[in-house]
Amino acid sequence: MSESRRRVSRGSQEESAAHTNGVGGRSRSERAADTGDEDEGAGPSGIHEEDDDPARRREIRSQYRDLINSVQQNREDMLNPANNKLIDVLEEANKLFANVRQAREAALDAQLLVLATDLGREKASQLHAEGSSFDPSAFAEHLLSFMGLNRLEEEEDDQEGLDGYLPPDAWQKLSKRAEHCFKTAPSFHYLLGSFLAEPPPPRQRVERQRKAPSKEAKRMMPTQLKKMEESHQEATEKEVERILGCLRSYYADDPESPISYYEFVVDPASFSRTVENIFHTSFLIRVSFVFVYLCPSPASPVEDGEIEPSGNATRHQCVISISPSTWKEIIEAFEIKQALIPTVQMLTQEG
Amino acid sequence: MSQRKRVAHAGSQNRVPRVSRQVVLDEDDDGDASYTQPTSSQVQKARENYTPVQVDRKVAEVVQFILIKDQKKIPIRRTDIVKHVIKEYKALYQDIMKRADRIFEQVFGLKLVEIDAKNHIYILINKLQPVPGEPISMCPGNPKTGLLFVILSVIFMKGGTVKENVVWNTLKKLRVDVGEKHEEFGDVKKVVTEEFVRQKYLEYLRIPHTEPLEHEFRWGQRAEKEVSKMKVLEFVGELHSQEPQSWTQQYREATSGESSQR
Repeated sequence: MSESRRRVSRGSQEESAAHTNGVGGRSRSERAADTGDEDEGAGPSGIHEEDDDPARRREIRSQYRDLINSVQQNREDMLNPANNKLIDVLEEANKLFANVRQAREAALDAQLLVLATDLGREKASQLHAEGSSFDPSAFAEHLLSFMGLNRLEEEEDDQEGLDGYLPPDAWQKLSKRAEHCFKTAPSFHYLLGSFLAEPPPPRQRVERQRKAPSKEAKRMMPTQLKKMEESHQEATEKEVERILGCLRSYYADDPESPISYYEFVVDPASFSRTVENIFHTSFLIRVSFVFVYLCPSPASPVEDGEIEPSGNATRHQCVISISPSTWKEIIEAFEIKQALIPTVQMLTQEG
Repeated sequence: MSQRKRVAHAGSQNRVPRVSRQVVLDEDDDGDASYTQPTSSQVQKARENYTPVQVDRKVAEVVQFILIKDQKKIPIRRTDIVKHVIKEYKALYQDIMKRADRIFEQVFGLKLVEIDAKNHIYILINKLQPVPGEPISMCPGNPKTGLLFVILSVIFMKGGTVKENVVWNTLKKLRVDVGEKHEEFGDVKKVVTEEFVRQKYLEYLRIPHTEPLEHEFRWGQRAEKEVSKMKVLEFVGELHSQEPQSWTQQYREATSGESSQR
């Protein structure tokens, strides 16, 4: 029968409790208390009848389980350096172990010891720390405050006992601060774009240049067109007015006699001028400034009309056609030597 | 041995066209079998074989390979570098890596650090010290950084190892429930026990003889090199409105960590 003194140390638990059927004393690595229980020598390793009593064994097992449960449930309590509850548990276990004869109960004892050792280690670390202790729960609270926890009571309590809610950027905020603790290499990404600074400026210049001319050109266009249109209109209006002026001046000289139409419009020097004169005169006739009436004349094959300014006559329409050959015939027939409607050039030359 | 049989089947030398088959073979090997230290004569011969321009190109390829591998923050194995990039320039591995090192330091301000000397695994870390007042980057913070920080700081303040329940309980107080899907992190357990572990920020180890199975967390090899314990302690101190020195043990460890990291 071996009296085994087992040093209980971190992580070195073996489930070889089955091998030691006898009773052994234990010493704990806990510095706070060091009680080594030495039991009186037990009987031989052989199993006696009384050791095999199932009822007793059941009882022992249930007591062990109670002890184990109490350690697990009251873990925080036992960790408290202020009390010695852990030692009490161990003493209980020692008492129980005195009656253990078989492997199954011893296994439970070992399990209890594992738990107790773990607690012992934690308690010891609390004592070892020369400085402050570290409490993860308090740490969590501080983190929550840092992350900007809003501690106002929420109506909906989906989480028990957790008040307040975290803002959406909570973890971002923490990450940004935590980054400083890391020496992380920035991840490699392709820079979509180019560092070359040269191409863009020329493009801008070209664009501006292109834009400038086009704008000016556009501006040019309307003004040009406008001018042309004006000149067209002006030209026509001016011409018409000028011809009216001529006619009136002739009539001023000789109010009674009308002027032969063809004599008036035909320009012996230019066929195109003649056509223009007819065109312009037609305006005057249209607006009834000038009155043309037909006058029978035996000599000419062409019906001619005569012109008088204004008058309320009934309107007739008439189409006059003229061709170069007709124009020449008219010149011969009427013996027109000179244009009655002076051209603009002649006027400028004269005047 | 089985290697040679297969190569014989292929009936030709291990030339570039056969690379794919070679890759298959290499995967059978564990550890570093694809790279063995060349002899100095081999190195000399190789230096003569390849022009400086060719070697330059290889160096550039290695740099680019490492940069892209680092995007996911998964550590890079030497075997991968040799297998995928260096290939036939194997004998010049040391030369190439030395130059790649220099390029990382001088061009990018990064350090290529071996976090596992046995298995030859590397990470890239930032060589430049951040300026305290200024933000680290213009990018919005990755929320996972905050999550990782919480876990790392709890482990550190608790002496270097914690049971997983401590971590889960702390996170729960921060409204991150491992059992539920989190808005920002999704499957938290997966992120912590798989992603962070793969990136070597954390170690998630089984505790033997626990029923039901329990794990414990420790700092991973990447964290040891990449994370400044002193800065962690300082921030923890800020949060508690306490001086970092008030935690004497942790302070001691933090100061020794600083000197070992340089």
